[in-house]
Amino acid sequence: KWKGEGTTQNLESIVIGRCYDYIRIVNPAVGEKNCSQIWEAFKNAFIKKDPCSILPQDYELFINLTLHTIPTNKSLFWENNQLLVNSFADRGRRFMSLGDTLFGFVADFLYWCGQADSPGLDYESCPTTVECENNAVESFWRMASITYAQHSSGVIHILLNGSADGGAYPQPGFFADYEIPNLQRGKISQVVIWVVDDIEGPDIDSCGAHTVKTLETRLKTLGYDVICTDNIK
Amino acid sequence: MPLQQGSARVRQRTVLLVGIAVLLAALVVAVVLASLLTHGRHEVSPQMLKWKDRGTTKNLQEVILGRCYNYITAQHPELGDKDCLKIWESLKDAFIYKNPCNITPEDYQPLMELASHPIPCNKSLFWSKTGDLAHRYTKSNQNFLTLEDTLLGYMADKISWCGDPSAPGINYESCPKRSECESNPGSVFWKMASKMFAEAACGVVQVMLNGSVEAGAFRSSSIFGSVEVFNLDPDKVSEVHIWLMQDIGGPQSESCSGHSIQRLISILEERNFKIICEDNYRPVQLLQCVHNPDHTDCRLCTNST
Repeated sequence: KWKGEGTTQNLESIVIGRCYDYIRIVNPAVGEKNCSQIWEAFKNAFIKKDPCSILPQDYELFINLTLHTIPTNKSLFWENNQLLVNSFADRGRRFMSLGDTLFGFVADFLYWCGQADSPGLDYESCPTTVECENNAVESFWRMASITYAQHSSGVIHILLNGSADGGAYPQPGFFADYEIPNLQRGKISQVVIWVVDDIEGPDIDSCGAHTVKTLETRLKTLGYDVICTDNIK
Repeated sequence: MPLQQGSARVRQRTVLLVGIAVLLAALVVAVVLASLLTHGRHEVSPQMLKWKDRGTTKNLQEVILGRCYNYITAQHPELGDKDCLKIWESLKDAFIYKNPCNITPEDYQPLMELASHPIPCNKSLFWSKTGDLAHRYTKSNQNFLTLEDTLLGYMADKISWCGDPSAPGINYESCPKRSECESNPGSVFWKMASKMFAEAACGVVQVMLNGSVEAGAFRSSSIFGSVEVFNLDPDKVSEVHIWLMQDIGGPQSESCSGHSIQRLISILEERNFKIICEDNYRPVQLLQCVHNPDHTDCRLCTNST
């Protein structure tokens, strides 16, 4: 029916399990959260609805229940280099990427969608963003990205892939469309851009060139103090 | 007139006496009730044994189930036939309502059988005093697997559990440290899981040791030194590669030519394994360099390359 992967099996157990894993072991500093309530809020954002009609605001209650402070100077934004980001961020110890926050952690790498006329999840297939933009997963990450950007402060870091097809700073992209517009200029002291090429990969983009130049210009126009470094050790 | 006053006074006195008696009775009842209630509350906690280590992780069931499903669904779909509910039940049955100093390998046998799975050859990575680094390495290089990257290890990593004979059978306050008793649920679990991980290894195996530890990189008292080394199967394992990692800018307590490494090599050679030892294996060192990019050891071009 749809072209995308269906809902991940045992989604409820995984989400609730990850929620407790996060508050008990990964980052107990966030304090007590009601993980069953969080699951319900997550689910209610998209069940019993047309799977092409889910909006970022539908996840508002979920975000309210999972929100916690992001330590200043620890935000790490990225495009096209998730594995690198994960090992670099060191599970929140060095940096706290979106996947290291509670709201990102519970949903990372999972798929989900509902159906219009039933309370059940669709395990067969889910719409891709090409088929319809307002699908459950896309809207989730839009909302999560907006929230992450709004709550970032201090020196923020952006890790870009200088070997990516089409340039290091993708437009459209999550960073371009949902994160930059929601950064709170008053809370941010500096923006540090790192452009990293794949080892033995092509050097398609770098500081001061092509898409990275576009990004640097955009940020400077918005009033940010910007530093850019290539292939940071 | 005097007679009437007299009887009124008697009535007043009676009322007063009755009032005092009622008050006293109420007081007595209150005291009795209070002592019963507090006595009852004290009754529950002192019955649980008290230990020196942290207690069972809260929401243990949800965490274990979530990790199990996460592992078999999102990470390793080839293990889709595993029954996470049964696996949780078998873990719980291993320790619930039992004295946490009396745990045996037999207690964990059903869990081990349900949760074990084959390990591809040439991918086993053992480690001792290098846990953080070893796991960062396997996270970025899926060609290697530590025990904590298998289903059993993944579920139990960084979690603690222990039981107690009194209700509710799980002790969330404290659990025994190894120094208090060796046969505690955590130690027995990891010893057994390590043994099975070693037995399952085949082909070339790797071990990451710490060359900056004063007590020596290889210690017979570690799980690697006491359990894993002796459970490698010479019919399945052909070679052992030792990666001796020193902290960047840290003490260079030992290298491949050091005493404890020589001891390890002789133990392994006696069991017919071929050994290769490498100081500061470069791919892992590069990971260390992420946190120390300006150190001389982390220059991109060295004389040897």
